[in-house]
Amino acid sequence: MASKTKAEILAGHEANTALNARSLAPAPRHAKDLGADGMFSPLDERIIAAASEALEAGQTHYVDVPGIAPLRSEIADSLNRQTGARYEPGNIIITAGLQESRFLSIQEIGEDFENIGVPAVIHPGVRKALGVRARKVISLPVDAERGYLPSVQAIAEAVAGGCRLLYLESPSRLTGAAYTSEEVAAIAQALGDAGAAAIWDGGCGPWVEGGCGSLAATEESPKQITTIGEAVPGMGLASWFIGYIAAPEDQIPAMQSQKQIMAICTSTAAQFAALEATKLFEEARGLRLGQLAQFKSGLTKTAASQNIAVIAGDALNIIALRASEAASARLREAGYEFADGASFGAPGVIRLNVNAAASAALQALS
Amino acid sequence: MSKKKAQGTNLLYQLIGEARGYDDVIIMGRGDPDFDTPAHIVAAAKNAMINHHADSTPPEGLLALREAIAARVKRVNNIDVDPATEVVVTNGGQEALFLMVLAVLAPGDELIVPEPNYNTYADSLAFAGGVKVEVQTYAEDDFRADPADVRAAISDKTRALLLVSPNNPAASVISPADMREMLDIAIANDLMILADDIYDLFVYDEFEHVSPASMPGGKERALTLNALSKAYSMTGWRLGWIVGPADLMARVRELKAAISGGTSVISQHAGIAALTGPQDAVEMMAEAYRRRRRLVLDALDAMGIKYGLPQGGQFVFADIGFTGMDSGEVAQRILSEQHVLAYPGSAFSKDRKDYLRMTFLQPEDQLIEGLERMKVAMANIVAEG
Repeated sequence: MASKTKAEILAGHEANTALNARSLAPAPRHAKDLGADGMFSPLDERIIAAASEALEAGQTHYVDVPGIAPLRSEIADSLNRQTGARYEPGNIIITAGLQESRFLSIQEIGEDFENIGVPAVIHPGVRKALGVRARKVISLPVDAERGYLPSVQAIAEAVAGGCRLLYLESPSRLTGAAYTSEEVAAIAQALGDAGAAAIWDGGCGPWVEGGCGSLAATEESPKQITTIGEAVPGMGLASWFIGYIAAPEDQIPAMQSQKQIMAICTSTAAQFAALEATKLFEEARGLRLGQLAQFKSGLTKTAASQNIAVIAGDALNIIALRASEAASARLREAGYEFADGASFGAPGVIRLNVNAAASAALQALS
Repeated sequence: MSKKKAQGTNLLYQLIGEARGYDDVIIMGRGDPDFDTPAHIVAAAKNAMINHHADSTPPEGLLALREAIAARVKRVNNIDVDPATEVVVTNGGQEALFLMVLAVLAPGDELIVPEPNYNTYADSLAFAGGVKVEVQTYAEDDFRADPADVRAAISDKTRALLLVSPNNPAASVISPADMREMLDIAIANDLMILADDIYDLFVYDEFEHVSPASMPGGKERALTLNALSKAYSMTGWRLGWIVGPADLMARVRELKAAISGGTSVISQHAGIAALTGPQDAVEMMAEAYRRRRRLVLDALDAMGIKYGLPQGGQFVFADIGFTGMDSGEVAQRILSEQHVLAYPGSAFSKDRKDYLRMTFLQPEDQLIEGLERMKVAMANIVAEG
């Protein structure tokens, strides 16, 4: 006999449109996979050696819930260096990847607020994280001409309307558009005046030449701004699933408790690999920025020559294009994976990973 | 709930934090085996770092691992699952537990929980907005969960029944007859079953582990979790799984995508090696735990400390009511004075302030020394009246 209880459980899930929102399904990685916003970087042999050494030395056990102390320290230093923030190691929690960072920060910080303001165009993982436990979401209108970021005015209006927690991406995970330093200062002013808080996904920030403004840099010490991202991006650690949350001190105990409840700790091997990667990051980042700038410039020119509209974005690791459904279908038929803007809330836009293979994809698109 | 959560867990972490400050501490608290992960599994991870580090993984995990898990649950638990649709890989047993609770319980739903139980179930349930309905078990019955008590606890809000066998912290094993009765109760009342099999390879004497999903009528209403942490000494790799019927597992997959997106590919390759490679290390560790369990029980007998017989698992739940003190205070005294970490029963259940959970996850010489020190601490406590 069919179970009525099970039918009710399934119906409850079906009704949860946020949880069931389309996600960016990872495909088996291949030369035509342009769907990710991370980099297809080789794993440096020094990282392999460090992780292997740790495992062989018996680092196969649980570690501290918020992560191993040296990695927390390196992440804080790296964030502060890149963004001008003032995080201490005690502000850092190492997570099992960016999605866990999103979920943990949204659910935990969200506990303190009646609602959360989220851009109408945002990474689909954000909507999924919001959907696990109902949150009242205030949709922030975005400006298509500004890379689908919410304008400073839209943010200020939401705050004036009573929204006291915002989730923001800068650079945008769809277009790579990032707020300027002046815009960041204006957002900080709007938040500060109302005592509002923000979760700031700055994960694509390292791929903006000359750096990227961060809300965290506007605070003398972390009080209202939580920053999240991939732990050491561009170092070949994407499939290790390792991310971070940098949060104000008063948020850490509850977040740490919830991390314990969800997973106890993050993979020990991944943490030791990431620790070694932090030592190599700055040098590798410099080299990659050079390569990415070259690739993106070439792609932009190719797109222009084929009448494909490029959406301006500051981050060099991704390029967003306007594409009709028919053009997207052609790209798919040619075997390319890409991120569909519809999953973000922006139909008619596609995002490609910037790498050597992307140029051929533009041919298929045109 | 959020800012007041996990009080039991936080108490444990306070003790762990203090323990870390003692050079000569003997850990008889945390469920982390002293053995390192077997070498062939570490070698597989190293190979994966070289050859598979750039592989992507779907939220539910690599198919090769899901196939290995399907073969394992068939071999060990007699559960038939389709690796394509009925297995989700998780960040350890803990994430499996969290996902399982969220997949089945909605706000206001009741989960029947034989007590004492692993504290994280209550924390996960609170996150989901569910309500825990406790069914008490007792040391004099070796913490057997009585099906009649479970039946009596059912209300019109009951949605599911939690069956952890061997139980943590009480170490009781649900007999095949009791499991059949529990399943019949679930079927008769149209309840889901959340089954935690994480200690299924550690069952002692004449006791027998059985998974509810292996019994007729069980699979379609049971989600079953397990992990590599305890059996393969892989706590740091964060690798576990849930198996269950395809319709519910599709929901588990969506939740996994929302909560963490995926599981480390390196850990997954290590998991494939663990499940498909030589099993001698598992046998060796199981044998060591059998010896250590005997050693701990003999020592407790010599001290006159009562306990429910650990029929499975890796710990003993011992009655320290004779001290007249709360188990939190006793655990604190033992740690501060003798540098031995045992977990207070109050961290697992508000009604178990008379108990300590002691693991046997340390080498025998350490266990002997730890038990000697505990004896001294207990004697001091009793002498003080």
